[in-house]
Amino acid sequence: MKEEKQWNEAAASSGCLRWLFANLSGFRALYAFGIILTIVYNGMQLTVPIFSQKIVDLFLSGEESAAANLRDHRDWLLWLLAGMVGFTFLRTFIVYHACMIFERVSQGMLYRIRNRLFRKILNQDMGFYDRFRTGDLMTRLTGDLDAVRHMVAWVVRTVVECIALLLSATVYFIYLDPLMAFSILALSPLIFFVTLAFKRQAAPMHQQLREKMSDLNTAAQENISGNRVVKAFAREEYEINRFQERNEDYSSARKETALLWLKYFPVIEMCANALPVILMVVGGFFLMHGRLTVGEYVAYSGLLWTVANPMRNLGNIINEFQRFHSAAQKVMELDAAQPSIVTAPSSGEKDDLRGRVEFRNVSFAYGDHEVLHRINLTIEAGQTVAIMGETGSGKTSLIQLIPRFYDPQEGEVFVDGKNVKDWELKKLRGHIGMATQDVLLFSDSIDGNIAYGDSKMPESQVEYFAESAAAAEFIERMPEKYGTIVGERGVGLSGGQKQRISLARALAIRPGILILDDTTSAVDLETEKHIQQSLAHLDFPCTKIIIAQRISSTKDADQIFVLENGQIAEQGTHAELLAKKGYYYQVAMLQNGGEQIG
Amino acid sequence: MARNTYGQDERLETPFEFRHLLRAGVYLKRYRFKMIVAFVLSAVAAATGLLSPVITQKALDEVIPAGDMKRLFVLAGMLLGVFVVSVTFSTIRSRIMTKVGQDIIFDIRSDLFRHLQELSFQYYDDRPHGKILIRVVNYVNSVSDMLSNGIINVILEVLNMIFIVIFMLATDLKLSLVVLAGVPILMAFMMFIKKHQRQAWQQVSNKSSNLNAYLQENIVGARVTQIFTREEENAKIFDGLSKECQETWLEATKYSNLIWPGIDNVSVCVRAALYMVALLWLGPESVSIGVVVAISSYAARFWQPIMNLGNLFNTFINNIAYLERIFETLDEPVLVKDKEGATKLPPVRGDVSFEDVSFSYEEGKEVLSHVSFHVKAGESVALVGPTGAGKSTIVNLLSRFYNVGGGKICIDGTDISGVTLHSLRSQMGIMMQDSFIFSGTIGENIRYGRLDATQEEIEAAAKTVCADAFIRKMEDGYQTEVKERGSLLSQGQKQLISFARTLLSDPRILILDEATSSIDVQTEQALQQGIDAMLKGRTSFIIAHRLSTIRNCDRIFYIDRGGITESGTHEELMAKKGDYYHLYTAQKEEVQ
Repeated sequence: MKEEKQWNEAAASSGCLRWLFANLSGFRALYAFGIILTIVYNGMQLTVPIFSQKIVDLFLSGEESAAANLRDHRDWLLWLLAGMVGFTFLRTFIVYHACMIFERVSQGMLYRIRNRLFRKILNQDMGFYDRFRTGDLMTRLTGDLDAVRHMVAWVVRTVVECIALLLSATVYFIYLDPLMAFSILALSPLIFFVTLAFKRQAAPMHQQLREKMSDLNTAAQENISGNRVVKAFAREEYEINRFQERNEDYSSARKETALLWLKYFPVIEMCANALPVILMVVGGFFLMHGRLTVGEYVAYSGLLWTVANPMRNLGNIINEFQRFHSAAQKVMELDAAQPSIVTAPSSGEKDDLRGRVEFRNVSFAYGDHEVLHRINLTIEAGQTVAIMGETGSGKTSLIQLIPRFYDPQEGEVFVDGKNVKDWELKKLRGHIGMATQDVLLFSDSIDGNIAYGDSKMPESQVEYFAESAAAAEFIERMPEKYGTIVGERGVGLSGGQKQRISLARALAIRPGILILDDTTSAVDLETEKHIQQSLAHLDFPCTKIIIAQRISSTKDADQIFVLENGQIAEQGTHAELLAKKGYYYQVAMLQNGGEQIG
Repeated sequence: MARNTYGQDERLETPFEFRHLLRAGVYLKRYRFKMIVAFVLSAVAAATGLLSPVITQKALDEVIPAGDMKRLFVLAGMLLGVFVVSVTFSTIRSRIMTKVGQDIIFDIRSDLFRHLQELSFQYYDDRPHGKILIRVVNYVNSVSDMLSNGIINVILEVLNMIFIVIFMLATDLKLSLVVLAGVPILMAFMMFIKKHQRQAWQQVSNKSSNLNAYLQENIVGARVTQIFTREEENAKIFDGLSKECQETWLEATKYSNLIWPGIDNVSVCVRAALYMVALLWLGPESVSIGVVVAISSYAARFWQPIMNLGNLFNTFINNIAYLERIFETLDEPVLVKDKEGATKLPPVRGDVSFEDVSFSYEEGKEVLSHVSFHVKAGESVALVGPTGAGKSTIVNLLSRFYNVGGGKICIDGTDISGVTLHSLRSQMGIMMQDSFIFSGTIGENIRYGRLDATQEEIEAAAKTVCADAFIRKMEDGYQTEVKERGSLLSQGQKQLISFARTLLSDPRILILDEATSSIDVQTEQALQQGIDAMLKGRTSFIIAHRLSTIRNCDRIFYIDRGGITESGTHEELMAKKGDYYHLYTAQKEEVQ
């Protein structure tokens, strides 16, 4: 069991690396070049000290010979100095460009993945949005992606650097004296096992840390979004306490992770520090017995850091690798998410839509919770249809099936006689103008919000549709008129104003089917009248499906459907339904202030 | 200030100053004792580390040539001992500083969050939420290491440098000056880099903030984007923002990556100059070889701390861009706050009076002008009138979400500007148009109104507002998890839940701002009994368009043109045949 888990872990991490490799396509040659440069400059790092060593040997050791060399071979000194400076310049030049290559590749990859994920997110179905919280998605596209970037930009480079140094030094050590080399590297297996143990323990911690980060993000993001409610209930203290818990959790997860390394740190650090001790004892012994020269001893001692440095870097490398690992899994999960609602291939649909809508035996449930049961209805092109019903009776669910936000579990929805599943999604939705109950405007100018469906729309059109939606008047009164910036979610506007902008936005695409989900609930009657007038006189053919609570919005409809518990309870025109004296009649009566309707 | 969008960088006017670091000192102060301990530990570890070359030297110069294996072992033991001490000390130091570092970011984040709770709607309305979020989460994380280890390391490195300089000067003044001549050159180089680097990292923080803002809005607004088939276009905008992030990052790293090579080159030039001066200019006659060797080894040691400082400088510059943003948020003035010496508003009866109240959101555009009225405790008042006439403003002022521009508002005769916000708002129940539902269970959402409410009380509240039935119909009843965007619930259901939430809070003054707009008439009719029960004994202000909701109120204010144009009971206003009469008859005509 445990073994299997380990195997899975190994498979998962090789999966992460494969995914990373796949995402480097197009950058691989440059990346390889960067890696080669890294090897080169590390090699140079080993050779540059030779110049200064030579200067010391020739001009700074042995009074006699140094003086003689200085007298006879001044040019050597100049050459050596020039070589020292020149080589350093060359090396730093390469270092700089190698670093920039790593930056460029990692940024290029980051850019690509980020944009791809953004597209993925935008094209997901509603089920996806129910599953993933905003804060969590944000974490994936920011913090998690940054860990992936860091892997490419830093971890790989550091590993290459360590290996290059270690290998070249090892070769040199062995070349000088195999036995001495062996003594110095004798501690490596210990390091290896310690590292392995650390890696195993660090893995779950990084996963936990990542989750805590996401929780923190989610908590903060919800609090920011709900700031009005928080204030309304004077719940600031409560929110602070709740956030503090997350903050505490995250903080202690970070501590825990860092402290874990500090458990291993003394062992590793002692190993690194044991190197000069070993050199002193073994090297000293060899020196005494003439197996090693002083020059060789100095060479060993001068290069010990090439073994010690990788050891000291291990903790960082492994921590960063595990961070990458847990982050990459989250990113990959998003990358692999497939929407269940996918577009049918384009089948040369005509560009216009007549607007006939038909529901055949449609049942729909959120999970196990059925909200629509065997709905049959037909809306002819150009008709105006009203849908009424109690809160939670399924009105919104019903209309959401038309643009295919959800697919019904049973039955079919047809638009212009064609099953919506066979429509190219873009075409279908492109013909549907919808103003939802929960009005969502973007932090952009009013202009930009109305022209959301077609950003190239001329100003005059924007104004025209604002006028149709009875929004022109209040927009004109604003200081910057159509250029006024609306806050996120349309904050700063009253409910009625938001609804009217959202209506203008829906009208502006000249849809074949216009769906209004309780869009005028917050506007006053006079304004509503104006809106109804415009809706009745649109300059393009349009089927209108209107969910409304007010009789004033429904009475002129060609058909009225009353939903009850997910089924159509009543159906007919205003007059017919009044005559029926059912739900509709009661509603009408209530709205008339309880007086009989004649 | 104009509203900020994703497409706009947030301007930061304050110049770069190390005062930001000084200010961060406030956060360090709490941990100064621990930091001093950590510092001492590091200093001791570093000092013991200095012993190792002495021991090695002794081995090479005396013990090995003498072939004394025993003494070699003794020396090796001493060396090991030195390392054990230094490793132990540095481990303890790291343990201390890890905790301190995390505690510091915990503190900063707490303060930031606490401050955000005090900021008014305006703050949240004026900028994309993603830009606020990135500060609380991402930016704070970035600065932790700089503030904890960074500062200690700087002090250590500086001390290290000073020691070396002293040793060097004691050895040979002239040659030391050659080594030190590199410092001004390096300074000039760093100054040049700093100027660009700082701007570049500010740009990075700006662009990532923009990206975050756009991302957050698109996640929240995905449905709208899909219905308008704007996916491609938005993806292109995102590409653009993403590109800007990439470019600014590369621009910034272009400077950051220059620092290390720069120091390296200056240091090698200094070494070359040293050799040239010592060997070619002064010559062996005036400087002994021993001195040159000593100085050149000091020079190498001298540049090591400088390199480390260069690195630290780099992270400081990067992170100060974040720190500035954090402090900027912390400095955001709290417009509506408890006055100094604010008293607690005692439990009120609910007698409300507006005395000559004026208010404007923007200068010169008065929304309310000299409004005065008096509402007796327990009275219910309906506010009607055209959209944008100022109905919401009146209730927002009463809840003190904004401070009045002129005049005063009194509850039970107490001016609300002199009482604590918490004591005021906790006695009011405010239901807004936007019925925000938190993620969590339905039960938890209702409990938000009164945290210590029992399950029975929650259910009773839900029953009163006709929400019990639909909640019970759900799979897990009150334990049903509402998803973040509340997609499981219809808008009307959300309003019912927030109704229950408000009812549970048992307020003395009740404000319903379009609270029932999405509830169907049938439910509202049933709800009416609940509302009646709720209104009983409570002062209430109701904003609604549906006249069936309004009719039952004790009094009706018709709000238009910045003030109350008509007031009275339904019957009185009908008899008056004014604005209200027109509104009412218009609605009736519609139904007929």
